[in-house]
Amino acid sequence: MTLTATTRSRPAARRPRPRVRRTWISTVIGIVVLAVMLFPVYWLVNSSLQPFGSTLSGAVFPWHPDTTGYQRAISEQGRNLVTSLVIALLTVAVVLAAATPTAYALAQFRFRWTPAALLVVLITQMIPSIIIAGAAYTAYSGLHLLNTVPGLVLADASLGIPFAILVLYPAFTGIPKSIIEAARIDGAGLGRTFWSIVVPVSRNGIITAGLFSFLFAWGDFLFALTLTTNPSVRPVTLGIYNYLGTNVSSWSAVMATGVLASIPAIVLLLVAQKYIAAGAIGGAVK
Amino acid sequence: MKRTTVVSLALAAVLPLSLAACSSSSDTGKDGVVVLSELDYQVDEPSSSQMKAVLDGCATQVGVKIDRQTVPGAQLIPRVLQAAQSRTLPDLVRIDNPDVQQIAATGGLAPLGDYGITGEGTAKGILDASTYKGKLYGLQPQANTLGLFYNKTLLAQAGVGVPKTWDELATSAAAVSHDDVYGFATAAALGGEGWGFLPFMWSNGGDESDLNSPQVAGALSLFKDLEDSGAMSKSVVNWTQSDVTDQFTSGKAALMVGGSWNMGRLAESGVDWGVAELPVPKAGDTSISTFGGEAWTVPVTGDKTKQAKAADMVKCLTSDESEVQQAKSSVGQVPAKTAVAQQLAQEDPSLAPFVQAVADGRARTGKIGLAWPQAATTIYAGVQSVLTGQAEPADAMAKAAGS
Amino acid sequence: MTAVRPASTPLQADVLPPPRRRSGRGERTARLLFVVPTAVYIAAYFGYPLVKNLLMSFQNYTTATFFTGEAPWVGFQNFSRAVHSNLFVPALGHTALFTAVSIVGQFIIGMALAVFFSRRFPLNKFLRGLLLLPWLLPSVASSAVWRSIFEQDNGILNRVLEGVGLIDEPIGWLTSTSWALTAVIIANVWAGIPFNATILYGGLQEISEDLYEAAALDGATGWRAFRHITLPLLRPVISVVLVLGVVYTVKTLDGILALTNGGPSNATQTIPVRAYQESFVNFSFGVGAAYNTFLILISLVFAVVYLRANRRAVDE
Repeated sequence: MTLTATTRSRPAARRPRPRVRRTWISTVIGIVVLAVMLFPVYWLVNSSLQPFGSTLSGAVFPWHPDTTGYQRAISEQGRNLVTSLVIALLTVAVVLAAATPTAYALAQFRFRWTPAALLVVLITQMIPSIIIAGAAYTAYSGLHLLNTVPGLVLADASLGIPFAILVLYPAFTGIPKSIIEAARIDGAGLGRTFWSIVVPVSRNGIITAGLFSFLFAWGDFLFALTLTTNPSVRPVTLGIYNYLGTNVSSWSAVMATGVLASIPAIVLLLVAQKYIAAGAIGGAVK
Repeated sequence: MKRTTVVSLALAAVLPLSLAACSSSSDTGKDGVVVLSELDYQVDEPSSSQMKAVLDGCATQVGVKIDRQTVPGAQLIPRVLQAAQSRTLPDLVRIDNPDVQQIAATGGLAPLGDYGITGEGTAKGILDASTYKGKLYGLQPQANTLGLFYNKTLLAQAGVGVPKTWDELATSAAAVSHDDVYGFATAAALGGEGWGFLPFMWSNGGDESDLNSPQVAGALSLFKDLEDSGAMSKSVVNWTQSDVTDQFTSGKAALMVGGSWNMGRLAESGVDWGVAELPVPKAGDTSISTFGGEAWTVPVTGDKTKQAKAADMVKCLTSDESEVQQAKSSVGQVPAKTAVAQQLAQEDPSLAPFVQAVADGRARTGKIGLAWPQAATTIYAGVQSVLTGQAEPADAMAKAAGS
Repeated sequence: MTAVRPASTPLQADVLPPPRRRSGRGERTARLLFVVPTAVYIAAYFGYPLVKNLLMSFQNYTTATFFTGEAPWVGFQNFSRAVHSNLFVPALGHTALFTAVSIVGQFIIGMALAVFFSRRFPLNKFLRGLLLLPWLLPSVASSAVWRSIFEQDNGILNRVLEGVGLIDEPIGWLTSTSWALTAVIIANVWAGIPFNATILYGGLQEISEDLYEAAALDGATGWRAFRHITLPLLRPVISVVLVLGVVYTVKTLDGILALTNGGPSNATQTIPVRAYQESFVNFSFGVGAAYNTFLILISLVFAVVYLRANRRAVDE
């Protein structure tokens, strides 16, 4: 895959655009669009407040909210939420630590085998996760990595590293060579150039890669299921199964946990949105 | 700060990882007590705590400690297989009865007879499920089964009684159906939920060794007619047993094929309910039902001491006292030993219909053993094809068998 | 496409002396250090399982194998069994249809949202953040919600459709063989929109406003500007989104299992579902591995064909 850069420019001095009323119409449209798109999320909240977590009574709105699900979820899933958060954040660190230098190297160092490497990375995305989880179990049980946070972090990193490479590669090829060469001329080594010059310039791409790594890890269920054998380390995606017995299920607790599981993540995302605003993918794939 | 920056970056990321401790299970506790690792799928509460209490009780008696692992139901067999491959099989595994023969056939389970466990007093059907090539590989302390749950209020409103035969079922269910209330509901979703079809198939004389027989087609026709007449919702093909119970408790189904474990949920639902035997084709026919429940097995780990201790655990868990204790602390479970079950039924009449069903119950793997998983797939696919109009009862099974 | 340098950095590299080089060996080692950890990781977490699966697809791998380690070589027998199953062609067809429609749906809606959110208006950032909510729900919870929405008799979707008069009779979204695949596609499109929208939005942000202003001076606005400026410049990002989108969608398993388990009556059977069922329901792990190998080949062929075609198109 060869690459080129799209334009990246600093905006020229803006002329003021006083179209306040028109922009509020956009807000309204935005809210309506989001309301339609997020209706299933609303339905989740609605279900979580219905008796037994069931919507069979047909209620469209929880007129008589039943909080038993939340009581159970809050008292039992708190620890799991923290576990999920810790794992997801550590995964972001691992993914960025591994993928960012790699993507940069592939983009800038002009190895002969770069196209092949990128194809390999792409192929990793084609492998069904169930195969990876199965192999990981066998390896982990020998290495005593089952039921450990590091074990899960390394496994969840597999969800993020190839994707981060594919996303960051175009960003890194788009960096003007002059910046890099200026740094090298001043005597900076590869590492310093990378850390002090390149990373800040590609900040938005890196944040996007980190964002998706967080989402992948946060939502991971398969590795959590396969690589743990007791409740000591239990991400919330697996904790939700506490309510799904073989014969009897507590759906209101399931739904409540679903709602609770989204809250810390959405808060983090809203905070991170600020950094994505200015743009993420600064490159092209041919 | 040259190339070392990259290395230090990597180190900084790795450092937190090395701070977390690994977990490992020790082979013997501090005071020399043998620790047995165990695996079951009671992940949800309160059954998980109940299981733990039962295990700890027997552990004290046998003189061991239990290191327990739980996984969601569908993951048990994959976990057992993975553990087998990595030579980390637990010492005690609780397997769903239709799967016992499959695991026994691999040679991975120790025959319980080697430890003097014969299963004496346990219902024959239950023993069949866990028997492979004449040897007993697992033992269930309890079983659950299916019954016909009925909504007394809805039946009374329609002026019909509790159906005992297929004809009565068709008429009663049709009579009760109106608006969004259906007369009859049973689970027909894939994934093992549709086993409520089996009693109908068997009671009609059909069985899994010859799925193309007219008796099997007859049972399929029953279901098809119920759906066509509006007595059963088309949604059953997507309903799990849990969904069917939800329908029943919200008053949207008057009759349901449900598991004995539902009794607790039904008690808090506000529905005036009763339970009877599943309807038979003609008056006077015997109702042949099946049963659920898990068997305790002793995997071959190579550690003779632990295997012997695990077998002791099985003996304790299937002892008369333990079976009574387990049945009393759970809902809708019937002791596997016939005498114990009958004793309990006298004390608690709500269990009576289920006790008889378990005593007469037939194991799913009883007849064709290892060929059961494939047959089950065919059966459930066949039922779905009839209910979705993709095939006629006469050739549904034949068509479903090609995968 | 040529790179357009920002006005602020003229051709410095041409006038300055070449940079001082470190010793060749040290530099080469340092360069490799950038990639070696990741390479090791990829070999361990992807290479090993991939090879294992490939081997398994040529072996008679059963439950006994896990205990005894014996897996006799059977050549192409597993593949043959997979292909001769009467579910193979339907599964293939469903997989193709599921993927194609999902990608088109996710892409168009994602693009529309990306363009919409490129405008400036109050609450823009907040609403954009909320767009990612579908991704945050545990799959158990979201599939339960969809099953409730799609419920034939009482589900909210049918009630709304009947209420506004679009349909006379309730649609069997998950219970009718004609509609089940559509239902599964709808749920999948919903889940994929955030991914598409976010990446496309990022790409849009990279396109300079100046280009639009220059075009506006020539009279090209709205749809024409979109066609002649946005799309060509976005092409590389679109490639990433489409290729990755197809690769991810083709291997979708959880979503379908949770909603329909491949039913009703095999209406939503896909290659990944077949792979799962062969392995964990029928305990024929070799056949399941064969299905997985098919899956990977399908993705690979698509990716290679698409990237070649794309490169040729860009070169023209």
